[in-house]
Amino acid sequence: MGSMFRSEEVALVQLFLPTAAAYTCVSRLGELGLVEFRDLNASVSAFQRRFVVDVRRCEELEKTFTFLQEEVRRAGLVLPPPEGRLPAPPPRDLLRIQEETERLAQELRDVRGNQQALRAQLHQLQLHAAVLGQGHGPQLAAAHTDGTSERMPLLQAPGGPHQDLRVNFVAGAVEPHKAPALERLLWRACRGFLIASFRELEQPLEHPVTGEPAMWMTFLISYWGEQIGQKIRKITDCFHCHVFPFLEQEEARRGALRQLQQQSQELQEVLGETERFLSQVLGRVLQLLPPGQVQVHKMKAVYLALNQCSVSTTHKCLIAEAWCSVRDLPALQEALRDSSTEEGVSAVAHRIPCRDMPPTLIRTNRFTASFQGIVDAYGVGRYQEVNPAPYTIITFPFLFAVMFGDVGHGLLMFLFALAMVLAENRPAVKAAQNEIWQTFFRGRYLLLLMGLFSIYTGFIYNECFSRATSIFPSGWSVAAMANESGWSDAFLAQHAMLTLDPNVTGVFLGPYPFGIDPVWSLAANHLSFLNSFKMKMSVILGVVHMAFGVVLGIFNHVHFGQRHRLLLETLPELTFLLGLFGYLVFLVIYKWLCVSAASAASAPSILIHFINMFLFSHSPTNRPLYPRQEVVQATLVVLALAMVPILLLGTPLHLLRRHRPHLRRRPAGRQEEDKAGLLDLPDASVNGWSSDEEKAGGLDDEEEAELVPSEVLMHQAIHTIEFCLGCVSNTASYLRLWALSLAHAQLSEVLWAMVMSIGLGLGREVGVAAVVLVPIFAAFAVMTVAILLVMEGLSAFLHALRLHWVEFQNKFYSGTGYKLSPFTFTATDD
Amino acid sequence: MLSALPGRGPAHLQRPLLGPASHLGILRPAMTAHSFALPVIIFTTFWGLIGIAGPWFVPKGPNRGVIITMLVATAVCCYLFWLIAILAQLNPLFGPQLKNETIWYVRFLWE
Repeated sequence: MGSMFRSEEVALVQLFLPTAAAYTCVSRLGELGLVEFRDLNASVSAFQRRFVVDVRRCEELEKTFTFLQEEVRRAGLVLPPPEGRLPAPPPRDLLRIQEETERLAQELRDVRGNQQALRAQLHQLQLHAAVLGQGHGPQLAAAHTDGTSERMPLLQAPGGPHQDLRVNFVAGAVEPHKAPALERLLWRACRGFLIASFRELEQPLEHPVTGEPAMWMTFLISYWGEQIGQKIRKITDCFHCHVFPFLEQEEARRGALRQLQQQSQELQEVLGETERFLSQVLGRVLQLLPPGQVQVHKMKAVYLALNQCSVSTTHKCLIAEAWCSVRDLPALQEALRDSSTEEGVSAVAHRIPCRDMPPTLIRTNRFTASFQGIVDAYGVGRYQEVNPAPYTIITFPFLFAVMFGDVGHGLLMFLFALAMVLAENRPAVKAAQNEIWQTFFRGRYLLLLMGLFSIYTGFIYNECFSRATSIFPSGWSVAAMANESGWSDAFLAQHAMLTLDPNVTGVFLGPYPFGIDPVWSLAANHLSFLNSFKMKMSVILGVVHMAFGVVLGIFNHVHFGQRHRLLLETLPELTFLLGLFGYLVFLVIYKWLCVSAASAASAPSILIHFINMFLFSHSPTNRPLYPRQEVVQATLVVLALAMVPILLLGTPLHLLRRHRPHLRRRPAGRQEEDKAGLLDLPDASVNGWSSDEEKAGGLDDEEEAELVPSEVLMHQAIHTIEFCLGCVSNTASYLRLWALSLAHAQLSEVLWAMVMSIGLGLGREVGVAAVVLVPIFAAFAVMTVAILLVMEGLSAFLHALRLHWVEFQNKFYSGTGYKLSPFTFTATDD
Repeated sequence: MLSALPGRGPAHLQRPLLGPASHLGILRPAMTAHSFALPVIIFTTFWGLIGIAGPWFVPKGPNRGVIITMLVATAVCCYLFWLIAILAQLNPLFGPQLKNETIWYVRFLWE
């Protein structure tokens, strides 16, 4: 059988790595991705492990890398992806990489610091120039007067003895949002002794740190008196304004302005030089950073893996335990041999037995990966348990298609998936970051099969965008009915609805050879027929699917050496399921085959028969389908009920009987087995079962863990109840196949009737219909894709998934394993 | 059985079940009875070829098991689905209920 049938054989190997070659060996193993290391130092904290110093060095280097990356990002550059294969460098190279990185980081920091300082200086100069250049006309004019203006009264303010009447100026710049507050405070503090003028700059200046343009408000305060001056300075300090010296004479100011402009020009040249140097440094960073990051990442991973090995000081080597697939053992040994012969030593690996449950390894290719993915999403299978994935490849798209059946919609889905599959190797498609696109892209093969099966079920349901097609002529003859019943035109005009009677000769000519007859799409009572058909179809498909699940359990029981379960569990389960619900399927098919239209009026009702079967009662109006039906039914019910105690007590009694001689013979030995039992993985649900199922090869009885009778009975009781009640509820659960296909068909029909039908019926003139159809078809297309493809598709996907995960898999699958996740660097190569 | 139908269409609407209405002078598609045996034989053979004979022709390779599983599962699922559809229509207990407009045009269109 294919390799997907159950997990590959995974063995525990012990690796002896001489200290000289340990690093290269592990690095090589990481490149190959063959083994999963087990942590042998689990009790040791991270700070006490052997290679903690190296790990720490790698982490510091990674911190520097992060800083460099941040600088690169700030400069607006993009790191190129690393090229080529970069293996983990030998430990001595780490020093070199560290030195280079440190040097670059230091240079970068220096240059950045310089740049910041220069920028701040430039900003100050610019602000000063702006303040000087700003004209505060009236104030300056007022300063030149002799004070004969209306300021006169101010000069005689009761401010004490005369100060010098010279007008002094304070000029500066403040942020606009602080300006009103500043003005108010100045007015209140120095009322009457100053004139303040606030002007906004025409152009915003660039902020030195953030680079954003910021507006500034310049102010010019003319005041009298030294104390006022001090007050003003205190206030401006308080508001963190930039204050600049303001010279009275116009020429002096102009000279100062010229000087400032010259200085700022020089400064800008220096700034330019600095930025050129910065880009040079960044160029070197761009060269060093990508390969460096990959290499250091790999190195750290290798050291972390080495930390998991235990040290054997006597042999001067590291001992590692790893899970490895048996098929890969030769490759493993060859890899170890190659990487250790370079150092002149030899590393070996050999298999050791283990009691723990190994991880599960199922190799998939890009087609089967998505199906294995949806099975694993529920739970990774236990080691060597039967894998539902190869059957899911077909049953999942099929059950989806039963709920989605429409040729047109299926075709659209198929074409979309085909486009993705054909373009799957294009780099642009692979590099797309959108998560939703990635989800669809990863499931492209799933969508392909779903679309394909939907086309098939669409043909069977005879629905193409809710329209039926007559590939073959219909099996119902309206004319024959009309002729036989004398349907004249007058008669037809009086009766709005008339029913074709299959009893009339010539009306029903035989079943439509492929799918549902197209006449039903014209009928008003098509739902009566379709509902009956789809419900029965759902039950039939459900019973078949579940029986298949129970049958798959046979392979598990045989493989794990639990043949008693075949007789004590599988057989009762199958009898129960098929005796009750298989019989229902039989009744359905029998009625389809044997009850014809001639006896339609008195046709037996399967539902009533089924109910009476369980109640052991009888309905006189419901005729039997076949002679001795009641006897058969009674037998089946009794048989099924008899299976319940077998299911409940069979396996526990058998196990207890088998273990009782051992329990009596070796009571002392049980303590050792207890300790051994502690090593079992915590996911073993019941002690008894875990030891049973781990004995894949059939080990001796003396290694069994303790068997607690109450737990065994409890477990089996739960299983019995789950199975028996589950049979009923799960069979009913399959009716969702009917429900969703009905919903899809109705939605599709409504969309056609409300949108397209109206559009096609509009306008008898040639031009009108053509023009009107364009927007109508656009609306139809958008709603088809949005509602019927996306929404219904997701809904059917979900329900098909549920049917698999719950109704199918709970018959045989436990899903309590864990995956083999090999030690590999491939995550960093992406 | 002749039934005189005034109004619509020619008076030759008495239709035999098989064969063209030769007195019309034109060949119309015949409403042949659908047999049950023929589709069953055809489809059983078809899906049987895919599901039973197909696995023998799958080339040896790592994916042989998976491909065989897929072929058999496809054959079983698709055959079962088709079989259910045809069995459900084998002995209908009631017929379609049509609007009178539908009866008017189908009567002359499909025959």
